[in-house]
Amino acid sequence: MPFDPTLAWDSLPRMLYGMLNTVMITALTLVFGLVVALPVTLARMSPRLMFSLPAAAFVIFFRGTPAIILLYLVYYGLAQLPSVHDGVLWVIFANAFICAVIGLTLNHASYLVEILRGGLDAVPAGLTEASAALGISPRQTFTWIRFPLAMRFALKAYQNEVLMFTKGTAVVSVVTVVDLTAVANEVFERTYDAVTPMLLAAALYWVLVNLMRIGFEFADRRLNRHLIADEQRLRKPVAASRQALLARWTSLPAPGTEQAR
Amino acid sequence: MALLTQSELGYFQQLASGAVITMELAVSGYVLALAGGVLVGLVTLLRNPVIQVVWRVYASIIMGVPSLLVIFLFYYGGSSVLSGMVDITPFEAGLSALVVVYTVYIAELVRGAVRNVPRGQFEASAALAIRPLSAWWHVIMPQVVRLALPGLVTIWMVVLKDTALVSLAGLNDLVAHAKTAAGATKEPFIYFIAASLFFVVFSAATLRASARLEKRFGRGLAVVKA
Repeated sequence: MPFDPTLAWDSLPRMLYGMLNTVMITALTLVFGLVVALPVTLARMSPRLMFSLPAAAFVIFFRGTPAIILLYLVYYGLAQLPSVHDGVLWVIFANAFICAVIGLTLNHASYLVEILRGGLDAVPAGLTEASAALGISPRQTFTWIRFPLAMRFALKAYQNEVLMFTKGTAVVSVVTVVDLTAVANEVFERTYDAVTPMLLAAALYWVLVNLMRIGFEFADRRLNRHLIADEQRLRKPVAASRQALLARWTSLPAPGTEQAR
Repeated sequence: MALLTQSELGYFQQLASGAVITMELAVSGYVLALAGGVLVGLVTLLRNPVIQVVWRVYASIIMGVPSLLVIFLFYYGGSSVLSGMVDITPFEAGLSALVVVYTVYIAELVRGAVRNVPRGQFEASAALAIRPLSAWWHVIMPQVVRLALPGLVTIWMVVLKDTALVSLAGLNDLVAHAKTAAGATKEPFIYFIAASLFFVVFSAATLRASARLEKRFGRGLAVVKA
């Protein structure tokens, strides 16, 4: 059964509605993930066990558990506890959309903690020592020297994680949230055509993921605009391979082409 | 006093049998993806423009799509395309989807690792007249393993957790059994916690094992702390 363009066109509005939900969940999780991850990272890096042990447990549990189980836990599991079911919090946990955001946020935040920690660890100790020697307070050293640099070091890992979890939002349909994947399933169950809705949804995910990737590359260029030498080094291979390609088509030796490995 | 009632014990036995299926899927998926990924990664290092263009497009498509959709596409789409000829089981659909997706990730990782081996290593091998195959096997690949190891460990953990998604295509794995037990007993919390602990324990065990492996492959290298 091949791709059916008419069905694809007809289901597009509903698909875009599902995609809007996917985007909203992604955006909310991004924001809340950062809000949760920052204090947990600081606790994780604290020399005092009172802070670092709970933070480590948080990371081990929420990083090790698949998002789908976390969603089940938050949506179905917490409802079982009387304190949740009968308390004021029930307003929150009865809503599938909020539960999805909470489950994904815990998962995303635990990854972020490790990424932020890696970024902060990568800042050379000499910089911290130099600012201490210059009499800059530890707090100012953190906000103006360590954190801005850590952000740049961690950006690539952050990008990978964000793109991974954006694709991971596809599981929220298990707690009855109507996202892009749920709409694709809906169309499949109505028409018994699996290929068309799945491929259409895949195309829409691809567009979303690549738009985000372009955004990250823009941020990367902006944050690292002081690295002029690096940038040139990065751009050169592209130009070289384009020249090599040109040479192949015109069967002329490209200037300065190197021997293949 | 018994810690668990008879029916609870039965549900936990089901969970255990589901855990075995989850592990089978994860291990077979990872091993096949590793074999495929190394092969594809090395082939796509060839500087043939056709290979490069095809690979860029293919990798971009696979890496831009949720693995859950690929699983659904293989299971529902595969059943309708191959209807009448063969029946696709959820396990086969899940396994092939995981292999297709993670072959690409591992191939990208291997490509990156080979590129990060210093040029001098290739040049020195050539200067010493080491035959290309021996040079790859004895000089380049050991360094590729060291460079790729952290990424390979990460991908293993992602594959392990992605197997949980195959329950949505009807595989009776750990997650599916946990969901059944949760629904039947009206006590979802305990079964989902049990399921999550399975994954947490295996992730933690992986991290310990990977630390040892990294030490083994990193021997001869000193870490300079600034």
